[in-house]
Amino acid sequence: MAADVTALSDIDEREIQVFVEAVSRYFSQITGQKAEIRAAFLTNNERALPVFEFTGMIKISGDYYGAIYFSTDRFLLSRLLQIMNEPRHGEEHLLDAVGEIANTLAGNARQHFGEMMEVSVPLTMDGKESKNLKGLRDRPYVIMVRWKQYEASVIIDIKRKK
Amino acid sequence: MKLLIVDDSSIIRSRIARILSDSRLPAIQIVGMARTGTEAVALFQQHTPDLVTMDLTMPEMDGVESTEAMITLKPDSNILIISALSDKATAIKALKKGAKGFLYKPFNDEQLIHALLEIME
Repeated sequence: MAADVTALSDIDEREIQVFVEAVSRYFSQITGQKAEIRAAFLTNNERALPVFEFTGMIKISGDYYGAIYFSTDRFLLSRLLQIMNEPRHGEEHLLDAVGEIANTLAGNARQHFGEMMEVSVPLTMDGKESKNLKGLRDRPYVIMVRWKQYEASVIIDIKRKK
Repeated sequence: MKLLIVDDSSIIRSRIARILSDSRLPAIQIVGMARTGTEAVALFQQHTPDLVTMDLTMPEMDGVESTEAMITLKPDSNILIISALSDKATAIKALKKGAKGFLYKPFNDEQLIHALLEIME
C-alpha cells in the first residue's frame, strides 16, 4: 500500500490503518474472501470525492467532526446481498446495504478512536446526489478497495476538534 | 421461543431472520422486527419476547435506551446487542443497562448462533 500521510496533521497513519483493517475484516467476514487495498492516498478537495453509484455516509461528531464514506457500484452490492442470501436487490436495498457497510466501518473504527467519536445513523446517496460531493478537509483520505472484480472507495474526511 | 429483531437496516433484520430459520436452534418464532428503538419498545410491550437482538445506532431512540426501557418492563429480558460500535465503553454501557451479550458487526452465521445460544443457556 502506498500511502502519503505527510499532510495529515491531525489523523495519523496508524489511524488510517484502522479503516484499512475494518474494510478488510468486513469482506473477509461476510464473503470469506479478502478485499485488496489497491491504493491509499490524499485527494485534493478542489475536485469531487472519488465516489461510485451508491454512497453511504456516516456523520462524525463528539471529539471529531466530519464524515466517513463507503462508496461502490450496484454490482458489488448485489453480489454481497446474494452472498447474504438476500433476494431483494432493488435500489432501496442497495442503498440500505451501502449505508450498513459505512456504518460498520465507522463503528469498528471506534475500537481505536473510542466512544467520543460519535457516529450518526447512515445517510445514503445515489450517483446523482453524490456526484459533486466535497470533503471537509483540504485533503480527505481515500482508500481504494477491490473485491473480486469490483471497486469501492472508503473516504475518511474527519478532523479532531482542537 | 419468541424473538424480536431490532435493527435500522432491513438487510440486517432479514439476514438475522434467515440465519436463525436455517439453523438448528430450538424453535424460534419471530414475533416482530423493528427499525427504531421506539418501534422496538412498542413491539416488546405487545409481544413480551423471550429474546431480543438489538442494534445500537438507530433513529429516534438508540439501542442502549431501548435496552434500558425493556429491562424496566421485564428485568430478566434476554437482550443480545448486535452492533458495529467496537469500543469497550459502549459494550460496558449496554451490559450495565441489562443486555446479556454483545456481538460485533460484521458477524457470520456461526457467530450469531453461538452468541444467541450463550444467552439462551
